[in-house]
Amino acid sequence: MNSSFTPISLIPLLTTVALAPLLMAAILKVKACFSGRQGPPWLIKYSTLFKLLRKGSVYSTSSTFLFKMGPVISFVCAFMVLLFFPFAGLPPVLSFHGDVIMLFYLLGLGRFFTVLAALDTASPFEGMGAAREVFFSALAEVTIFTILVLFFRLTNSLSFAEYFSHNHGITLWSSSAAPVLLVVIALFMILLTENSRVPVDDPATHLELTMIHEVMILDHSGPDLALIEMGAFCKMLFYAAFITSLLYPFSSGFPASNVVIFFLLLTLIYGGVGLAESITGRFRMAMVPNFILTSFALVFFAVILTMELVQ
Amino acid sequence: MHTFFLALLLIAAGGILAPISCRVFPLMKIMAVTALVGGGLLGGWDAAMRLILHSVPETFTLPWLQFCRFSLRIDSLSAFFLVVIFVVPAVAALYSLQYLHDSRRRAAVAANYFFFSLLIISMALVVCADTLVTFALAWEVMSLSSFFLVIYDSAEQETRAAGYLYFVFTQAGALFLFAGLGFLYSATGNFSFSGLADISASGKLIGFLLILIGCGSKAGIIPLHTWLPHAHPAAPSHVSAVMSGVMIKVGIYGILRFYLLLQPASPVFGQIIIVLGIVSGILGVVYALGKHNLKRLLAYHSVENIGIILLGLGVGMLGAASGNATMAAFGFAGGLLHVLNHAVFKSLLFLGAGALIQQTGTATIDRLGGLMKSMPFTGRAFLVGSISITGLPPFNGFISEFLIYYGAFHGLSLHHASFVLTVLAIISLAFIGGLAAACFTKVVGVVFLGEPRSDAAAQAGEAGVSMLLAQGILASLCLIIGIWPEHFVLAAFQAVQAIPLAATIEPASFLPAVTALSRTGLLFIVLVFCTGLCRRLLSMGKEIRHAPTWGCGFSRPSARMQYTGTSYGDTLVNFFRPFVRVRSHYSGITAIFPAHATYRTHVHDIFELGLQILLIRPVLFLTTRLRWIQHGNIQLYIGYIVLAILVMLLFL
Repeated sequence: MNSSFTPISLIPLLTTVALAPLLMAAILKVKACFSGRQGPPWLIKYSTLFKLLRKGSVYSTSSTFLFKMGPVISFVCAFMVLLFFPFAGLPPVLSFHGDVIMLFYLLGLGRFFTVLAALDTASPFEGMGAAREVFFSALAEVTIFTILVLFFRLTNSLSFAEYFSHNHGITLWSSSAAPVLLVVIALFMILLTENSRVPVDDPATHLELTMIHEVMILDHSGPDLALIEMGAFCKMLFYAAFITSLLYPFSSGFPASNVVIFFLLLTLIYGGVGLAESITGRFRMAMVPNFILTSFALVFFAVILTMELVQ
Repeated sequence: MHTFFLALLLIAAGGILAPISCRVFPLMKIMAVTALVGGGLLGGWDAAMRLILHSVPETFTLPWLQFCRFSLRIDSLSAFFLVVIFVVPAVAALYSLQYLHDSRRRAAVAANYFFFSLLIISMALVVCADTLVTFALAWEVMSLSSFFLVIYDSAEQETRAAGYLYFVFTQAGALFLFAGLGFLYSATGNFSFSGLADISASGKLIGFLLILIGCGSKAGIIPLHTWLPHAHPAAPSHVSAVMSGVMIKVGIYGILRFYLLLQPASPVFGQIIIVLGIVSGILGVVYALGKHNLKRLLAYHSVENIGIILLGLGVGMLGAASGNATMAAFGFAGGLLHVLNHAVFKSLLFLGAGALIQQTGTATIDRLGGLMKSMPFTGRAFLVGSISITGLPPFNGFISEFLIYYGAFHGLSLHHASFVLTVLAIISLAFIGGLAAACFTKVVGVVFLGEPRSDAAAQAGEAGVSMLLAQGILASLCLIIGIWPEHFVLAAFQAVQAIPLAATIEPASFLPAVTALSRTGLLFIVLVFCTGLCRRLLSMGKEIRHAPTWGCGFSRPSARMQYTGTSYGDTLVNFFRPFVRVRSHYSGITAIFPAHATYRTHVHDIFELGLQILLIRPVLFLTTRLRWIQHGNIQLYIGYIVLAILVMLLFL
């Protein structure tokens, strides 16, 4: 129940974060495979990052200090969430009872500044993307907190460390498999929404009018864009690792096998994102709320299931 | 008690000296503001000391008339509200030093200071009242003095209409409140607060509901919130800051105080409060999203935050009814801390709004833009207020919302209706947070960022020093409470000691989580600082260029092409269709070479419409039919009074 600090866990954390761009490349590879192309090299995301870090920047004359703060804060927020997450069953770097509430609010803070940085440019397109982003994320927030309600019902805990590193952690292989299965599906839908993937948003589209996240960062360049990219990697990694931890009970195995299974599942989830992008089209903008609310309905149903289990 | 009275005396002196010395305008302002700030700080210090030193409740009684005593009692709950009541108006008074700058209106300014001090004194007396009559009297003085503050610009027709609406609401609310107090009197047979816990369960519910309507109309609970979005834009901004930041919380105090006095055992009380909290919270922010007038938008956010406070109190009440100590203590403490936090950031936002309205002459957000460059300090302070009101870490709004979440999560072991409502409370709190983020990115983005949308916005300059100082104080309070919350959380828990169950919670059980929040907040700031430093190092020695915003291929962008607040909120507002009525008028394009076209859209609050159709029209219909009673003949009016007294004496 108490707060803890495990500095040694920084090593697996930083390793995983360092591998995140590689995992992103897995999405591209899967998509390429489905469309019969060879796809970009595996290290594409690293070379993009280094290219951006080497470059100079162009700033809009309309913008203020907020434009430069946006990337910094969105990266720090996404990275901080990972500090509280137990990777492969190892204890997280930091943890306290109630940290999940703070972490999802930190992600909200990152979004708040990304949106402000977009509005700072006075571009009508970026305003449009920002309006969509805040709408969809407000809906996604509902699903996420319903998941937290469910997890509290299952474990009486309010932190990632308690969710996953106890012996009675929440996994598909426990007595509460049915609600967890629903959560896995819902969480995957939220992953697609929050990380601007197809069918909610298309990171590879070319028409600004149809973008959500990409259009908000149109004016960022150089190291600022690199920070945004790294923040996006961290956020994607967080959601993917969240689902991974639900899929397999890492706390009960050997450390070495845990790590192997962890990365295997992680790659599978990234591959799943690529698969979803390859086989589904993009929704019309008006359909996206229904998609997010479907994920809410799934989790709410899971909560009702636990009511039956308890009584 | 002496310090308390000394503070009230100083504030009263400020209010009385102003009209006397109003011929010399600067002298009057300096005297009034010095007295108000001095009295406010003294009173706030005294109240804070009571909380910190865990003082025993003090009482003061003045035998008065034949039948009722004028009696005051300051316990920890009163002391908590007193801190807010004394400190926030002191900052607002400081702001008014340069905000009320028109020396031609010196009489109005003097009256403003008089009623301002009267409002502070009456609010302090409401939260200290120890008998039903003292409470009712102080309440009425509070309502009337705030009415006179609202109609400061009485030359404007809109202001008079808003003032009238507020007056009607406040008197109708008082009617219910007095009915509730009268009902409690009839149940116990005396005016004191002490015997209220012993009345029957159904009596408690009726009395509580009447008082809930009375206090709720002051607090702005949906559907009794209709006066807020009219009165706040009409009132001067430092008055809006005090009314929205402090006065509506006195309504919350009334609800909480009578709940504590009645000590009901039934969970129905908590369930009613949670339902009201959910409705006020979500719809308040949805209506705010649809509003174009900055102060009206902020007024709807007060409704939203009252909803959050009610969610906290409701969670606490459910916890108390079900014997769940963690839930009770965290719910009540979270709700109370949100009272303090909202007082700080909402008055900050109103003061910022006042500064920019003074500079640009308009409150319509779609005519503003780019003010972060011309009003850098106000812009940054407003940004701090916006992050705080959205409830994001590491600012103060998050701390109180965290406590409410914490309490609500620990209430998930309840059953049936209480369980469902707790789940709904958590979900709606999250949803409110998301929607508030949407609304405040809209406000900051449209008003302060981008390019100016009108000449008035382009020519704005920074506000006066006293106005900036007031905003600076409140903005730093937001950050201080957010990063070092321990003492404020302790104070909130100290204030709920009156609840027997919540008193069993030891500081050791909540301080670790609060300390962890504080450390995480600090870590966040350190990381932001380090990343910012890295970013600067990476940018060093590289080519940094400045160019116009990328218009996606369009080469002649204009400021009018920016996304407006209306379009920003449009999809979200339409999502809530049955609860909001969007009326839009588009002139259309008629000729081959289109000339001037207009598009107008208005987002209606269905409760306001409902009130018009269901209440105002029938009442108007009835009263026009009864018009013949009003003939202007004074003898007959006296006859009515005599008749009424006779009837009452004979039949009651």
